Amino acid sequence: MNSVPEPPRRILVVGGGVAGFSAVNELRARGYEGALTVLSPEGLPYDRPPLSKGYLLGTEDADKIRLAPEAWYAERGVEVLPERAVALRPAEGGVELDGGRLLAADRVLLAVGGAPRSLRIPGGEAALTLRSRADSDALRQVLVPGARVAIVGAGLIGAEVASAAVGLGAEVTLIDPVELPLAPAVGEAIARRLHAMHGERGVRAVVSLPVEIAAGNANDGAAHLVRLADGSSVVADSVVAGIGIVPETGLAAAAGIAVDDGVIVDPSGATSNPAVFAAGDASRLRVADGTLLRRAEHWEAAVRSGQAAAAGLLGEPAPAFGAPWLWSDRHGVHVEAVGTLDPRQAPGSRTVLRAVGGVPQAAFLLAADGHLLGCAAVDLPLMVRAARRMIDRGLTPDPDALADPAVDPRKLAR
Amino acid sequence: MSLATRVDIMSEAIDVGSPDEIEEGTARVVEPEESGFDEPIAVFHAESGCFYALDDTCTHEEASLAEGWIEGETVECPLHSSSFSLRSGKVLCLPATQDARTHKVEVAGGRVMLYPGVDADEAVRAGE
Repeated sequence: MNSVPEPPRRILVVGGGVAGFSAVNELRARGYEGALTVLSPEGLPYDRPPLSKGYLLGTEDADKIRLAPEAWYAERGVEVLPERAVALRPAEGGVELDGGRLLAADRVLLAVGGAPRSLRIPGGEAALTLRSRADSDALRQVLVPGARVAIVGAGLIGAEVASAAVGLGAEVTLIDPVELPLAPAVGEAIARRLHAMHGERGVRAVVSLPVEIAAGNANDGAAHLVRLADGSSVVADSVVAGIGIVPETGLAAAAGIAVDDGVIVDPSGATSNPAVFAAGDASRLRVADGTLLRRAEHWEAAVRSGQAAAAGLLGEPAPAFGAPWLWSDRHGVHVEAVGTLDPRQAPGSRTVLRAVGGVPQAAFLLAADGHLLGCAAVDLPLMVRAARRMIDRGLTPDPDALADPAVDPRKLAR
Repeated sequence: MSLATRVDIMSEAIDVGSPDEIEEGTARVVEPEESGFDEPIAVFHAESGCFYALDDTCTHEEASLAEGWIEGETVECPLHSSSFSLRSGKVLCLPATQDARTHKVEVAGGRVMLYPGVDADEAVRAGE
């Protein structure tokens, strides 16, 4: 027998990242009028993408990167508590805070994110990581003119930190075992252009795998020596690792909720406990056919999962979302990708490039039947917005028009 | 913006050109030197044919909304895809959480007239 659950009267969001914030925003937008509390140990929720960009460079301060000012919460009747949850107590109808206090809630949203993945090599604990504002502050301290900085991982965060570090005058070595980082995300041509920018900006890119972070020797005057699998080594005053995150699943697991490299959720954010939902980097989606998807450690995915969970918390159907989107800012360029650029995911697909003077500005992946599957572009935001609409509407654009720099992106999706 | 600035410029309209000088689905930026207003203003020609104006700089980060994607009666920021209602300035999509400031625009005598610092008609906003 299906029973209709009581509508929630007291919702508690555990975590003050963009997933939790998006859920709060969406709950109020959907007309939820009950109590709404956010546990955010670091205070008012802030946005993380600037931590490896403007905030790290010092061009944006803590106020600027707040997701919303204090008044925003007051206007919406949202309480933000700078507290940490230490246990879910579903049977007691609440969450236990650090210090033992029990906070009552009839629905809980876990949006607890994760911790930076650490380098599991001897000496790996010496590497700095970047997840929180405090991490970015600490990193800023070591990114000084002349500092030798070794960055492990040339994905989005590693590349952005490398860009900020050279901008701040550091001497940067960027280490990644992958020859062409980001190729699955933005396609080979754009990945090649982006990766080449490291060298042009004075970042030394090394293709290898670190095997040990040893103590530096007196001759170099450096704290660390990063030994690589190819036998070479990198002298470094500081080492930074940007190799992804480990989702925080401890609270859920301890409460008997199903986890598997993330708190398992359905498309409306529901976990295996009907009173507990999850969203953001800590969650992992199981789709209707039972397949567990890979966790998406991207900003927009966190926003969408927060919005979906808001619907789920209210017993409403999950909204439909279009093609996923990501962006990165490095070396003075703005990169965006929408949909998929990975031809391995679409047999028979082909890539079309729009280039100016031999330099690719945009790449498109077209399915065998001509549908647009993905687009990545450098400093061409209207093209990405056009592509997003073409993908979501199932259009089959003319490949010649896509490739022609003279064709206005605005004309393509109309 | 100070109240004094607002009062000073309230009555003055700026001629930003004939309607066909701003193609439908595009926008024109009116710089402070031209408007006397303290921020650049984007004048949008929506697909509906109507004209609207908002502060050009996204309320989230440094980006020109005039360079964004204009569709229906909304504009999507070219940087992080926040979107705003052209009519009311209301923010429709994260990451921005603050509404954009509106400015009154009229088409009169075959010219697009911008009133820098004057909110778009309250009646229009109420109909949103």
